Amino acid sequence: MKTIPSVAALLLAAVLSSAQAQKVIRVWHTETQPNSQEAVRNIAKRFEAKHPGVKVEVEALAWGDLEGKIMASLAAGTPPELSHGQPITCAALQSKGLLLPLDEVVQALGEANIWDQVKRVCRVGGKQYGLVHAAGTSLLIYRKDLAQKLGLKPPRTWADLVANAKAFTTGGMYGITIPGDNLFINILLGELLKANGGIFFDRQNRPQLSSRPMLETLEFIRDLTRYAPPGWEGHGYLETFTNLYGQKAAMMYQGYGRGAGLIEKGALPSMANAEHFDVWVKPVGPSGREPAAQVDEEPWMLFKGSKNPKEAVEFLKFFYQKDNYLEYVQTVPIHLFPITKSLRADRDYQATPMIQRWKSWIEVQEGYLNNDQGKPTLVIDWDDMNSKPYLMEVLGSGILRDMVMDVALENKSPREAASRAQRRLEDLLKSKGYLK
Amino acid sequence: MTAARTGWLLVLPALLLLAALTVYPVAYGIWISFFSKHSFFPEQQFVGLGNYAAVLADEEFWRSLELGLIYSLTTIALQLAIGVAAALLLNEAFPGRGLARAVSIFPYVVPTVVAVIIWKWLLNSQFGLVNYLLGIPVSWMGRDWIMVSLIIVSVWQFFPFVLLAVLARLQSIPPELYEAATVDGAGAWRRFVHVTLPQLQSVLFVVVLLRSIWMFTKFDTPWLMIQGGGAETYIRTLPIYTYQRTFAYYEAGRGSAMAVIMFLMLVAAAALYFHFWRREEQL
Repeated sequence: MKTIPSVAALLLAAVLSSAQAQKVIRVWHTETQPNSQEAVRNIAKRFEAKHPGVKVEVEALAWGDLEGKIMASLAAGTPPELSHGQPITCAALQSKGLLLPLDEVVQALGEANIWDQVKRVCRVGGKQYGLVHAAGTSLLIYRKDLAQKLGLKPPRTWADLVANAKAFTTGGMYGITIPGDNLFINILLGELLKANGGIFFDRQNRPQLSSRPMLETLEFIRDLTRYAPPGWEGHGYLETFTNLYGQKAAMMYQGYGRGAGLIEKGALPSMANAEHFDVWVKPVGPSGREPAAQVDEEPWMLFKGSKNPKEAVEFLKFFYQKDNYLEYVQTVPIHLFPITKSLRADRDYQATPMIQRWKSWIEVQEGYLNNDQGKPTLVIDWDDMNSKPYLMEVLGSGILRDMVMDVALENKSPREAASRAQRRLEDLLKSKGYLK
Repeated sequence: MTAARTGWLLVLPALLLLAALTVYPVAYGIWISFFSKHSFFPEQQFVGLGNYAAVLADEEFWRSLELGLIYSLTTIALQLAIGVAAALLLNEAFPGRGLARAVSIFPYVVPTVVAVIIWKWLLNSQFGLVNYLLGIPVSWMGRDWIMVSLIIVSVWQFFPFVLLAVLARLQSIPPELYEAATVDGAGAWRRFVHVTLPQLQSVLFVVVLLRSIWMFTKFDTPWLMIQGGGAETYIRTLPIYTYQRTFAYYEAGRGSAMAVIMFLMLVAAAALYFHFWRREEQL
């Protein structure tokens, strides 16, 4: 009879002790491609095996769901330990004191071993509040075979690009394909404005939408989209790739290295190579001096108020260890550039078959990154990351997208569309106290 | 006295649940509409009717209202026309009627997300079946056609509700009424106008009321239509814009003010509807 209470007490103690020992690291990431998800799960399993009593709960989230989920978890006081986020989200959350620094991870990787460009993301007061998981840039992809046939040269200016788009537009083929959804229009506008020497906001946070560089940018978008398939404004990112490899469009302005994989899967086998789909360096606007691209480099963020931040730091150190990190970046090799110089120079990494096949795509991205011509969405100058914590709201509002659509679809003059957007943006910034 | 007290005690749990799940969120929504409040952070500042003034001065609000009215009125009219016609047809005896009835409610039981994904594939401008059958390249998700696409999907999804309600009523109309009308020499059309329609009046009243509320506040279908591509600006109805104000602009106060205004519009429309309905009945 005495054994029953003893066994019960032992069981209770075992349950309690295991509950105490089990530390959970919640990890949210945005690499939703199945092989990338599998790589992160594998890394998590290996980490768990090395750290008994620690469990890593990995969740892959679509971009559209991420910001809201992060915000809701912060409001509820239950943030995950780690999450990806837009660079401007990282800056906004850091400005509200919601993130912990990742300097320990930076030290473990070797500060000098991390590319300078990557270290500029979400770095405040010498502390690294966001550490990029991998970097890639936007690309101007074009049909090399058709360009050769038509005798087209790489576009140096926006006028050249429009001329090429016009030349490509024949029969069922359109010159250019561009996604019409809010995120990509914001990305497009940001990088074009950079390439035209413009800014979105001045130091007092006043929008500069009626400035000459912006008006020229809007004119360019209007001229370029004349050679896009009808209804382009309804095309999502994946649909623009379908247009490209489905032979409906000859150029894609907002392509990414990830697209090389889509081309290998979707294009005719005889065409699924860099001899048919190559990249040009993006051209410069009439008021600009150098090309610009959007850099796709979401940082890992470590949340203040999460339960196990120390273990999360250990997990990140483990994530960036050569074998783990190599497995991860090789899942999308043309898009997920390693942030460490050592891995980029590594023989195993360089020998990745896909990197061999799409070398020109890598070189153009490296050019943007090495020349500091790639910036995150809506960021013109690195200082914007910290001095303009409202960029996340500007992006979400859709005001810039509406301005572009007013010009491209509604036949409004750039000045008219810009002044309407200027009014709306000023209202937004005033309501949030950023503009007097 | 004791019985009354017992009664209250028995009802109390339900009342508490109702208060917690319905009254509190609504009251809280109204309360924060008077604040400038971030959607996720505790920052808030009392602004009185400031949010309401800002909403009414916002041209995008009026544009969204206009789009919402176009969407809801068109879909309700089409749902009614197709739903009543289909109910009349399915009320007749013909071989395979049971199967036809089962199939006709299929769109209503398909989850919205599945329905929208299927339709987006069908309407894909480059590779969709609809364009293939039409033989012309219509940009269904572009500026000129996205509202039409949304209306098509919504009508397809929700006409079975009208069908079910009307069919149920049709089956309970006494056949003697039709027999008497036939004896009096009424043809099919006159039987429909003078017997069927008056008998359907009460059910149509409820159907129109419910569908109006549901379509005016419809969020999921238009929201899903613009995910991953779709000319959003042209179907940004009031619920979508309210959501964006709350969760993209992070303005919970202003979003709540928009929701309250939407609620008041619905109450006013329902009151008018009831008023005219009563007057009609009295005539």
